[in-house]
Amino acid sequence: MKNIADHLFDIFENSVNASADTVIIGISFSKGVFYCSITDNGIGITGEEVLDPFVTSRKTRRVGLGLPLLKKAAEDTGGYLKIRRLNRDGGTNLEFEMDMSHIDAKPFGDLPQTFADIYFAWPEIDLKLYITKNNKEEKVLDFHEIREKENLGLVNSIENRRRILNIMQKEVKTLNI
Amino acid sequence: MKNLEELKMMREKVKKDLQLRAGEHRVKIVVGMGSCGIAAGARETMNEFLELIEKNKKTDIIVTASGCFGFCAQEPMIHVYVEDKKPVTYRNVDKVAAQEIFTNHILNDQIVEKYLFSKGKK
Repeated sequence: MKNIADHLFDIFENSVNASADTVIIGISFSKGVFYCSITDNGIGITGEEVLDPFVTSRKTRRVGLGLPLLKKAAEDTGGYLKIRRLNRDGGTNLEFEMDMSHIDAKPFGDLPQTFADIYFAWPEIDLKLYITKNNKEEKVLDFHEIREKENLGLVNSIENRRRILNIMQKEVKTLNI
Repeated sequence: MKNLEELKMMREKVKKDLQLRAGEHRVKIVVGMGSCGIAAGARETMNEFLELIEKNKKTDIIVTASGCFGFCAQEPMIHVYVEDKKPVTYRNVDKVAAQEIFTNHILNDQIVEKYLFSKGKK
């Protein structure tokens, strides 16, 4: 993983694999600290064993490096990564914080592109993205709403992807990322 | 506020719609998007295919993502499903490979041996 954008995409894929159909992402960036929280309604984890690289739910290979790599990337900057089950039925919440001014911090990468890619890669998932600016949380993306507006036609149309890219580029710019 | 039953029905309906709409295609390209694929640049590969589809004004090709295919060292990998044909799997599909596969296999039905991983198996 070269950058944060890759990591975000990877975590999102975890949610999809856990059969989630809604994923809520909240991000903020202030005073050089990047905070991100990802909540899904998937099957949930059973403990913190997911942070062990030699544990994976997958059958195709026996190691799972996605989360351990992100944890390492966060901790290298003096940040943290926490993951917990939401309730008995499942659901997972993952939070991490990174000090982007730290010399070991990975670059952001292309965050707007990541959200456009997610939209295209998993057309059946509803993503809601909240961005916190000046202590105010604001919803900037809702894939469900975007699809609702669209009548029949291609679900993941290239125009929609552009629209998401535009919204995200504007939002990310105001975050000074 | 709608009750739970109504919401469940709505969800089923939307799911069906999605399947229906995603179902009308001649070619399906599935890009492996496990941690390994992403780290190897699978997102670039996917975007290259999307651009090629747009450039060639194709509406009968869809691109989707799946998890790890199990051969992490050869990522980015893709499956190509052409209607009525056996699926083909390619390995090490970077931007250049994507262009070759698109022109030769998807547009002209010629399998690109250089990046071929397997034929006929899922």
